[in-house]
Amino acid sequence: MFDFLEPLFFALFALGIIGAGAAVVLLRRITAQALLMAFTFACMAGMFLLLGAETIALFQVLIYVGAITILILFGVMFTKQEERAYGLFFQKQAPLATGLAVIVALPVVILAFSFKDPATPSARGSDLIPLATSLFTDYAFPFEVASVLLLAALVGAIVLVKRDEQ
Amino acid sequence: MPIGPFGIDPTIWAVLRLVIAVALTVFLVLNGALVQIFLERKIQAVMQDRVGPYHTGPFGLLQTFADAIKLLGKEDIRAKLTDAPFFLAAPAIVFSPMLASFVVLPFGPDFTGVNLNVGLLYLTTLGSMTVLGIVIAGWASNNKYSLMGGLRSAGQLISYEVPGILGLVTVVLYVGSLSMVDITNAQPGPLVNAFILPFAFLTYFIAALAETNRNPFDLPEAESELVAGFLTEYSGMRWGVFFLAEYGEVTVVSAIMATLWFGGWHGPGVDAVPLLGVIWFTLKTYFFVLLFMWIRATLPRLRIDQLMGFCWKVLIPLALVNILLTAVLILAFPDPRLPIAVANWALVGLLVVGLPFTQRRRLLRFRTRTRESVGTRDARLAR
Repeated sequence: MFDFLEPLFFALFALGIIGAGAAVVLLRRITAQALLMAFTFACMAGMFLLLGAETIALFQVLIYVGAITILILFGVMFTKQEERAYGLFFQKQAPLATGLAVIVALPVVILAFSFKDPATPSARGSDLIPLATSLFTDYAFPFEVASVLLLAALVGAIVLVKRDEQ
Repeated sequence: MPIGPFGIDPTIWAVLRLVIAVALTVFLVLNGALVQIFLERKIQAVMQDRVGPYHTGPFGLLQTFADAIKLLGKEDIRAKLTDAPFFLAAPAIVFSPMLASFVVLPFGPDFTGVNLNVGLLYLTTLGSMTVLGIVIAGWASNNKYSLMGGLRSAGQLISYEVPGILGLVTVVLYVGSLSMVDITNAQPGPLVNAFILPFAFLTYFIAALAETNRNPFDLPEAESELVAGFLTEYSGMRWGVFFLAEYGEVTVVSAIMATLWFGGWHGPGVDAVPLLGVIWFTLKTYFFVLLFMWIRATLPRLRIDQLMGFCWKVLIPLALVNILLTAVLILAFPDPRLPIAVANWALVGLLVVGLPFTQRRRLLRFRTRTRESVGTRDARLAR
């Protein structure tokens, strides 16, 4: 009876991701761009929910909407406030950027369409334990490397912003 | 045709249940906020040796209802130079995650919206979304004070999310589940998690005070410094929605504390009468709500550098040590309750004893510096 819901939500989320993503690139209002990016991330989380990966969806919202967007907005707030709509006048890389985007997107699209078996949505929240197990057994080394990288970034950030104490 | 609960068709019941749940939550949130505002006024009045609201209704009980009607009847004002779409969206962005949080709160046995397997993660996620609305409100108001409030709130809320989540992780490690119902079921007896994990509770409690912008962490809307912070340009019901969201947030974090550390719905007589669990849960939650009010009436506001320093230099390192200790002890002992409790209480003792000690050293350093500068000034004046 409710079978139509899943394709419907997929269509809504897909529309949200592509539409908001395009708007982020094309719009000239930086606050709107930041908020639309948060919206894109939220739609991505919705996609994860449709795939039955609740944990990843929640982490997506927690990290991207709740933290990264805020940091971007934090930076935006230090920009000029009087003329809110502005762009870069000397930006002439549009053709080059399009070419590069196509080169990157092509393998991704080919890879996406080469999948034959659709992922089977699992039961509610059951991705938590497989996720944790694979993170701490099979992928323990990349996980640790990533955390060391983040630690280095954190230390670097502190060193950069630390003022000289005479 | 299959028959669901109350003899209703299951497909209709699924929709009907949703409608009832949303209506009940909105009812709970709105009236909870009114009750909390009344309690807050009365408690502050008692603490400041005043009477508080007393004119409207018995004991002034209807005062907040009258205020709510006044807010609803106010003219909807928006300053000309505010950023319209963001200015209008901000209250909704703050309010809706708070409303959605109520889905997973375990009010009683068989009285939970959804027993989500990752319920606690869901609650933290929604809690982190509130910042977005506050920052947007600060930016869209096009006002210096609002912007300052927004910036402060971005820094404060993101920083205090870390010790809050670290405190929650300790409980999750100990209980072994992220589901609110499982965590409640794990502490049926009088030996609740608060006795075993007091330090995790302390970190979460402090972080929760900061996350909900309550005293002594209400810097984003500090009246004496920033007019009203991000709320400066708001009036009428938009302002009211921000306050509803704040009181709702307080209820949610209080409910989290009641569930994670104080046994949730468990209490005498719950096994016989399951509905009694709702009353226990509400009582425990409102205990923390009242504690928040008590703190608000007692403590002065922190400075922003003190706030950040306390979070990054004291809370986060100690919380990390706590997680490490808890994880190691869980692996080392078959029944890790006693060692974890000892380690946790030791950390609480370290914080309680160490904090005045470091503060005293800092004060002494400050005094000598002042004396030196006064000395050089006097020498300059004498010349």
